[in-house]
Amino acid sequence: MADKNYYTIDPLGKLRCVKCGVPLEKGKAKFLYLDNGFPVELPVCPVCGFVYVPEELALGKVLAVEKALEDK
Amino acid sequence: MIIEERNSTHVYKQLRMLSKEELEQLEGRCVHEQPAYCVAACPLKLDAKALVQAVSQGDFDGARKLYEKIAPFPHILSAGCDAPCGAKCKLAGLGDAVEIRALERAAMAYGQRGKARGILRMKKRKTAAVFGSGLYSFFLAGELNKKAYPVTVFCQEPDLEAYISAEAGFAPAEALAADAALLRETDIVFRFGAGLDRDLVEAQREKFDVLCLSPALYSSLYPAGKAEEALQYDRENRLVTGRPRGVTESAFCAKKAALTVDRLAQNLDPGNTRGEEGPVETRLYTDTSGATALTRVPCQGDYTREEAVQEARRCIQCRCDECIKGCAYLQHYHKFPRVLTREIYNNVSIIMGDHMMNKPINACSLCGQCSVTCPNGYDMGEICHLARQNMVATDKMPLAPHEFALMDMLFSNNEAFLCRPQPGYEACKYVFFPGCQAAAIAPETVKAAYLDLCRRLDGGVALLLGCCGAICDWAGRYELAGQTKDFLDRELAKLGDPVVIAGCPSCKKQLSGHEGLEIVGIWDVLLHLGLPEGAHGLERPAALHDSCGARGDAGTQEAIRSLAKALGVELVDTPYSGDRSPCCGYGGLTAYANREVAGEMTAKCLERSDAAYISYCMACRDRFARQGRESRHILELVYGTDAGAPPDISQKRYNRLTLKKELLWELWQEETKEMKLDFDLRFTKEALRLMDERMILKDDVIAVLEEQRQTGEAIYDADSGLTIARRRIGNATFWVKYTPLEGGGYLVHSAYSHRMQVERRQG
Repeated sequence: MADKNYYTIDPLGKLRCVKCGVPLEKGKAKFLYLDNGFPVELPVCPVCGFVYVPEELALGKVLAVEKALEDK
Repeated sequence: MIIEERNSTHVYKQLRMLSKEELEQLEGRCVHEQPAYCVAACPLKLDAKALVQAVSQGDFDGARKLYEKIAPFPHILSAGCDAPCGAKCKLAGLGDAVEIRALERAAMAYGQRGKARGILRMKKRKTAAVFGSGLYSFFLAGELNKKAYPVTVFCQEPDLEAYISAEAGFAPAEALAADAALLRETDIVFRFGAGLDRDLVEAQREKFDVLCLSPALYSSLYPAGKAEEALQYDRENRLVTGRPRGVTESAFCAKKAALTVDRLAQNLDPGNTRGEEGPVETRLYTDTSGATALTRVPCQGDYTREEAVQEARRCIQCRCDECIKGCAYLQHYHKFPRVLTREIYNNVSIIMGDHMMNKPINACSLCGQCSVTCPNGYDMGEICHLARQNMVATDKMPLAPHEFALMDMLFSNNEAFLCRPQPGYEACKYVFFPGCQAAAIAPETVKAAYLDLCRRLDGGVALLLGCCGAICDWAGRYELAGQTKDFLDRELAKLGDPVVIAGCPSCKKQLSGHEGLEIVGIWDVLLHLGLPEGAHGLERPAALHDSCGARGDAGTQEAIRSLAKALGVELVDTPYSGDRSPCCGYGGLTAYANREVAGEMTAKCLERSDAAYISYCMACRDRFARQGRESRHILELVYGTDAGAPPDISQKRYNRLTLKKELLWELWQEETKEMKLDFDLRFTKEALRLMDERMILKDDVIAVLEEQRQTGEAIYDADSGLTIARRRIGNATFWVKYTPLEGGGYLVHSAYSHRMQVERRQG
């Protein structure tokens, strides 16, 4: 079955993990809030696993979903 | 410190906010949907208010349509209507009532008859006979025809014209002709020239299901008959009839009679389930202060179109919107308290699904203005407060709208908290309680006030820097509110339970919930002691904004005015002052939960005057100053201080800490250990603006960077050239965008946060 993702961001080689010195890759992550989970694909460090949430995503889609869930 | 987030969206707990009876009693207080006085007075249920409005807009067709709805033969009715509406017109008490009767005639004269005459209806199988002529039987025949009963009229008159004219001598020939034309369109069957005697009537019982009699005929043929007025029915003789007087009453009784026929035709008792009939009592309230046109447009017979429009424009369209006029919150949601209460009640009762009213519940400033402006004291704040507590109790209250404020309160009552007796005293007669916002916004003023009180009052003045608990109370967090109350009680007991000198009316109100605590306002004390040296008012006239915390507290409102007078301030009159004052937007945590509505509240306060504003609550002072208005707290004038430009959220915390540190050192010779950053930290202007907007503290940024220094974890974005670090603090993840400075420092360009947790997943 195809993997379901609510959101995908490909770092396209423009993001680098400062600690590990490697480029971030498109990786599997999930958002969790108030007992709800959403699988997504975000820039992830293949070595240390740092998951990056860009500003536009945090203040856009993430905020909208947070607000929707808060009123559930 | 952390406040627990609600656990899950899957909460199936439910707690009744109000009993059904309580809800109905509350809703009953809102009279917005009560009928206007003229509408309530009309036995025929004419929407006179809508008719007059239509005429005022020149819409005679629309006006006529409304009138045609109430009567089968509107021309004769309008010619002879007694207009009970006029006597109840609100303008009648001030000058001339609106000439509704003349406007009805104008509607009939200048409006076009509605084209759609209803759908073709099947005639009913039950039949009715109407005996005699005159207005009552004429209207009744028309009403029954409207109800699709086959009607046969028995009358002495030789023809239709003579039948119509009987008892309608008051109506002009055109009206008679017009209604005659309407009558011809019906399929009412006429038996003209009938010899109307009791035998004829009784003989028809076999042919018709219901028999109806004109009043005159009833009196002569059945002199001992006792028709019930309410039903228009003589049970003994099984006759539908009555004894009405006048045109309007005839039309009304004909309506009642038609309903009785309807009931009888269905073999039902005519007295049951008739619904509301006739004029009603209205509980409407209407403010008539804006009514200016109090003299009627002279009427020579009938109005011309223009005269009718002019007369109709005098109507003030009676309605009650006292609450909404002064409240930005109600204006924002454009709902009246009755509707809003019901929706909030339903919202609280929802087990699953979207809670659409969470935002309105958290957007009210709980200021109580509506409880004063409403003629029946409807308090929306009380309902929203109750709903918040209910949501907290059932774990359905999201933390996000109030978390920053609650954390700020915990900060006030922990790191920034200070409770000390005056140096040289163990127990004190007084304790100064300036309030958290005063210490955050105007620390110099707080300091000056405290030193002044110490100097001029005997018996010792202790100092208590902290939050009164209003914040958690407003948030509906009743457990935290209880804990805060107990905590403050313990601290006050340590000081020997002194008299509290409150610096803020909201604190004064909140602390009044503590049993056995004596509280006075600093304004009362200052009036008693006189102004200190250096006190001076403003050079120009100023508007006084009354704090919502002082609503219902005439003593405080008067004391502030006396203080302003003593300071030589010339106060300008503003609408909505005193008990009717609106909230600045801070109350009820609106400023945190709903910035948009809070902004509208502030604008509503400021639209009352162009002058500088003087307030006696530091939150009001702050919000007005943020809008660029010259805004001063009365204590700034008393102590000759100027808190200047409003501080940002980080500065507000810093001010509280610094005030505590300075006072500890200067008065009690206690040194506070200073936390020094071991790295250089700078912010761009844009970063500071974004942080204030996004409610991110400098302390949050420092916490992120401190972790970054330990773990080395960060991302470098080649596009922007910025490095980005993050840290989970409490219920949110904070991200900081920066450029590293030489020597290990940081220049912060931006910061943002989200509440969702993010983690890697496998598969």
